[in-house]
Parts: sequence; C-alpha cells; structure tokens
Amino acid sequence: MDTLIVAKALFGLYALAVVGGGLMAVFAKSLVRAVVGLIMTLFGVAGMYLLMNAPFVAFMQLLIYVGAVVILIFFAIMLTKAPAGGDEVKPTPARQWVLALMAALIPAMVLGSMVLGSPQVTTGQPVEVSIQLLGKGLLEEFVLAFELISVVLLVAMAGAVLLAWKRREEG
Amino acid sequence: MTPLVMYQLVAIFLFGIGLFGIVHRKSLVGMLICVELMLNGAGLSIVAASMLTPAPDAAGQLTTLLVMGLAAAEATLVLAIILVVVKRFGSGATDAITDLKG
Repeated sequence: MDTLIVAKALFGLYALAVVGGGLMAVFAKSLVRAVVGLIMTLFGVAGMYLLMNAPFVAFMQLLIYVGAVVILIFFAIMLTKAPAGGDEVKPTPARQWVLALMAALIPAMVLGSMVLGSPQVTTGQPVEVSIQLLGKGLLEEFVLAFELISVVLLVAMAGAVLLAWKRREEG
Repeated sequence: MTPLVMYQLVAIFLFGIGLFGIVHRKSLVGMLICVELMLNGAGLSIVAASMLTPAPDAAGQLTTLLVMGLAAAEATLVLAIILVVVKRFGSGATDAITDLKG
C-alpha cells in the first residue's frame, strides 16, 4: 500500500514538471528560457516512463531528447542570432490569442472526451520488458520499421548537409 | 480515475499546449520547441496505452523509439531549413517571411 502512495506522489511531481515546463516553453519571452522549460518537460515525461516500468524508454528519452534534440535547438537559437527576447517580445494581438486557444482546445476537448467517455481495460501493475526482448523485437518482428528509421535518419542528415552547403556557396 | 486515464490526460495536455504554442509563437525556433512538446505527448500516450493495457508491451516501447527517431530527424531538417530562411530573409520571425518565390 505504501508503494501506491509513493507512486501517486511521484506521478504528481512529474505531472507538475510536465505542466510547468510546458507552460514555460510556450509562454517564456526568451527562447533560451523556453528551451529550459522544454528540458523540464522532457525530464517529467522520462520520470513517467520510469513509473510505467519502462526504464529503457526513459533512458532513451534522456539520451535522444535532452542529449541531441535540445542541443540542436540551442544551435538553432545561436546560429539565427536571435537577440535576447527577440521576436517573441512583441505583444500578441487578441485575435491570435483566440485563434490559438481554439486551435488547442477543440482537438484537446475531442480527445479528452474520448478518453474519459470510453471504458478502458487496464491492467494493474505494468511488467518490465527486458532489453533482450526489445532487441529481439527490433531484429525480428519490427525489422522493417527499424531499417526504415535508419534510412530516414540518413536522408535527414544528407538533406541538412545539402541545405547548409548551398547556403555557404551563395554567401 | 485509473492510472491509464491520468497518463492519457497528461499526454493530451502536452499535445494541446504544443498546438497552442505553434499558433502563438512568432519565431521558427519557438515553433520547433512546440513540435517537440507535441511529439512527447504522442510518445507518452503510446507507452501508456501499451504498458497499462493487455496490448503487447514491447510493441509500444519500440513505437515510441520510432517516434523519437523521427523527432531527431525532423529537428535536424528544421534546423537546416531555419538556417536557410535566416540567410535569405535576415530573421527567423514568421511574419517577416512573406515571399513565396524570391
């Protein structure tokens, strides 16, 4: 019974990190602060993966998102020479607020009513999947997806180099 | 509320705030940050749906890995595109980019 209370407290903590980080990522005036909010959200989501007994996914979340994607975003901020505050300081017109709220609330409410309205079969305790089993799945059952994602990554890398190269020739 | 519903609600929050941010933000880098938020919501929802239901657990975890790989590829390409746009228009603000063919 104690573990249940601890799990609920941890879930609350992680949910707080996700919500606070998300709000910071969207509303911060400075882009660097927005990235810090994004990092907070990523850590919260990684904690939720751990709570769901999926430590491998949690580790990959930290490795890929915090280690690679966030660094890429920092590079984007530095290379575009966004002045502190920059484009985000200008006040947002009221019409854009309304449109943004509508764009966010309508799909979220549809999805939320679906989740809350339909009865869902749920198991009590999630069972951890061993890394051996995950690796076996990657090489046997889901080998096509595994190979395709490597092709996608290769094409993205080549495309990024090509775009950056053109930019240097023109300049 | 079952744990599954709570995880799904957090995932929906991430999706919603990401969508809000894409419309609200005024620079390309800010929009990229919001896309990452939405993709995280998708990953959380997928893992919750596979770990907390009788569905096969390994499939959900591997699908989330796939989403992470796609997010990395997308961030790489968007970074290159932002660099080209900044070179051509001199700024990454979305309201400065108005030409279709320059």
